[in-house]
Amino acid sequence: MADITVFKARKIITMDPNRPEATHVAVREGRILAVGDATCADAWGAVRHDDSLKDAVLMPGLVEGHAHMMAGAMWNFAYAGYHDRMDPKGTWWKGKPDLASVVRDLSDYEKTLAPGQPLLGWGLDPIFFAGERLSRKHLDQISTDRPVAIMFSNFHLMCVNSKALDMAGYDRATNAEGVVKDAHGDPTGELQEMAAMFPVMRRVGMDFRGLSQTEGAIRSYGEVCMRAGVTTVTDLYSQMEDADLATLVAVTDDPGFPARLVPVLGVAGSDPDQVAARALSLKAQSRDKLRLGAVKLMTDGSIQGWTARVKWPGYVGGQANGIWNMAPAEIHRMVDTMQRAGVQMHIHVNGDEASAVAIDAIADAARHHPWQDARHVLQHCQLMGMDQFVRCVELGICTNIFSNHIWYFGDQHAALTVGEDRACRMNAARAALDAGVHVALHSDAPVTPLGPLFTAWCAVNRQTMSGRTLGAAQCITVPEALHAITLGAAFTLKMDHEIGSIETGKRADFAILGDDPTTVDPMALKDVPVLGTVLDGRVHLG
Amino acid sequence: MSLPSSALPRLPLTVVGGYLGAGKTTLINRLLREDHGQRVLVMVNDFGAINIDADLLVSADGDTMTLTNGCVCCTMGADLFMAMGDALDRRPRPDHLVIEASGIADPARIAAAARAEPDLAYGGIAVVVDALHWLALADDPQIGAQIRGQVATADLLLISKAEGGVPPVLSARLAALSAAPQIDLADDAAVAPLLLGGLSPLRGKPEGGAHPAYLGWAHEGDEVLTREALAGKLSQAPQALYRIKGLVCAPEGPGWEVQVVGRSAEIKPALDAVARTRLVALGPQAGITRDQVARWWSGC
Repeated sequence: MADITVFKARKIITMDPNRPEATHVAVREGRILAVGDATCADAWGAVRHDDSLKDAVLMPGLVEGHAHMMAGAMWNFAYAGYHDRMDPKGTWWKGKPDLASVVRDLSDYEKTLAPGQPLLGWGLDPIFFAGERLSRKHLDQISTDRPVAIMFSNFHLMCVNSKALDMAGYDRATNAEGVVKDAHGDPTGELQEMAAMFPVMRRVGMDFRGLSQTEGAIRSYGEVCMRAGVTTVTDLYSQMEDADLATLVAVTDDPGFPARLVPVLGVAGSDPDQVAARALSLKAQSRDKLRLGAVKLMTDGSIQGWTARVKWPGYVGGQANGIWNMAPAEIHRMVDTMQRAGVQMHIHVNGDEASAVAIDAIADAARHHPWQDARHVLQHCQLMGMDQFVRCVELGICTNIFSNHIWYFGDQHAALTVGEDRACRMNAARAALDAGVHVALHSDAPVTPLGPLFTAWCAVNRQTMSGRTLGAAQCITVPEALHAITLGAAFTLKMDHEIGSIETGKRADFAILGDDPTTVDPMALKDVPVLGTVLDGRVHLG
Repeated sequence: MSLPSSALPRLPLTVVGGYLGAGKTTLINRLLREDHGQRVLVMVNDFGAINIDADLLVSADGDTMTLTNGCVCCTMGADLFMAMGDALDRRPRPDHLVIEASGIADPARIAAAARAEPDLAYGGIAVVVDALHWLALADDPQIGAQIRGQVATADLLLISKAEGGVPPVLSARLAALSAAPQIDLADDAAVAPLLLGGLSPLRGKPEGGAHPAYLGWAHEGDEVLTREALAGKLSQAPQALYRIKGLVCAPEGPGWEVQVVGRSAEIKPALDAVARTRLVALGPQAGITRDQVARWWSGC
């Protein structure tokens, strides 16, 4: 007879309406044997009582339905972002509110590097800085001997020092798009878009492929999840090659790895039939902690980059409409092939023209190849209105909403991209729930930090960085938000029968919290401490 | 990632753009089969429509096909620029890199790397235009802007499916967007000269076969030009020329490496000292004479 462990907690929030709260949960073989009080598992034989979590509040392990594996290994680089942020080891890095603090903090970091080692940074967001633009002159204050390259948070721009410019051969004579020059004709150090960044990245060893799929990258992602209370996490545009599978299996099979990983294969530009065959073959190789078989489609770009495809009247001020990463005809063909083959899709749609095309494509495919429980998921859904959510209900489509955008970019959306009226109904979780759609909420980490409680806070309060409430009519309640980051997200991954609530038969995956998110002030939801997780009954503490 | 070695010649990069179904893959199939004498590395999105006869194949695995003529065709995976880095790190380094842009992509975003990266040479943007469908696509409310944008960035416009000649309406519409030469792909003319350039003066290789459709011009002389003077000269080149490439002596420094494709001229400092100025140019047999080219270069 396998061991039975009965965990005692200050409170267990089960998300199971039949027994919303409990004080004890019994675990056997990694699964929930019983939920209730101290005696809940006594009928099953001898039990071992574990009181190590007695002061904590337990919730179902949180589920992040849209994040990227590089959220872990990005921390191989020095953090240069505006907001305070925690690394995979739990260390807080101070935000850098101005250029002086960027230079000061990175100069301190520079002293820790070996001679000749490049200083690589990430996360810089000068959109929040007033005044002077970051240039090589600032970065030369950090070092003139070693290359310094700082990637911006949007991954479309970087700034480098004179040494790095020199290594890439960039000088007055360079005539290349994206190599920004000053009034005297010299490169400023700012490089725009990959073509201009690539020569530097190549020479300083800034290799983005190494931020995913390697053992270190996978483990680091697991640590990030554990510290956010997340027990099931996606890698929502996995570029895994067949050769990467063995590493993924080895790492996730390790009982010490604290997350269930759901790599979702990116398919842009690929042949639909080949993609479908590969997805199905990967699906057959899924394991307890490695769930394969779904695919991700790109459609448009981002709203804050003015590259999302938005419906009439477009961007405020008449900016040109965005760009398609897959043409609508290609989207239709890919969706049709996936639907026919029985491959679940996650479809990136930021603008409402992109979501309209994706919904149309699924409707077409559904007419040809009926599949009622396909549970395709629209991802981001930032400009979708009630009309589109209603169509999602009709077609059985799920929505995963980018609530973190409200806080991080809400002010910019109101002022610069879609204007006040449409910004107030962006990421419309209220409309989605009222329409009856299955809703999840996400961070898109590392674009914004992984932290479902923060994401839930965004959806509940809709507060922006300037402190205003952006569209009070779209606020949802705390219980609704907690459902979205547990069962809601589990549903989009077709795992709601296994995870997402604490009830008998499900996997023993819990978030260990320092306070009760259902009783704190809704404005304090983001401040509820995460102490760690339990995965398959095994405790992982931060 | 290994550090670039300046001992190697620059790798010319040509980007093939054009909407889905325009004929990019057909063009690449033709390029891979032609006897052009160059070790070309072609990167495509997927092998779906790449069609190489078994007797031309040395080997084929999941993502790479090696051909008997020294060419290699591979899929680029999700990260195009990292794949470009891998191409540069290949030893021996290929003679030419051709990248197939995806159907909706802006080929200029890829080709820009050839201007920025010191180890790459600009080999131009060839956009394939489907004569049957392009006009309708260009007016499509959803994708029209991107379709027109591809043409606007092209150095060479390769017109496919124009049996019986390029329709004047299409030709005029393209000309309004781009000054690039419009080249009808309908005949059986070799495509390698268009995509790779005629012959390789940098290595002294002979021209790969005779191409009756094209006029070739080769020049060797003692001209010494500053960058500004050279740029001025190239801007005056006959409009009909498809390509010019070569090495030009400079009053100071090692000299210049020149790549002209359509109306785009790229000048980079040569990697080794240039002893004599050597140029080759390529244009349509029907549209230009050797004399015209020679007169332009000699300054008349």
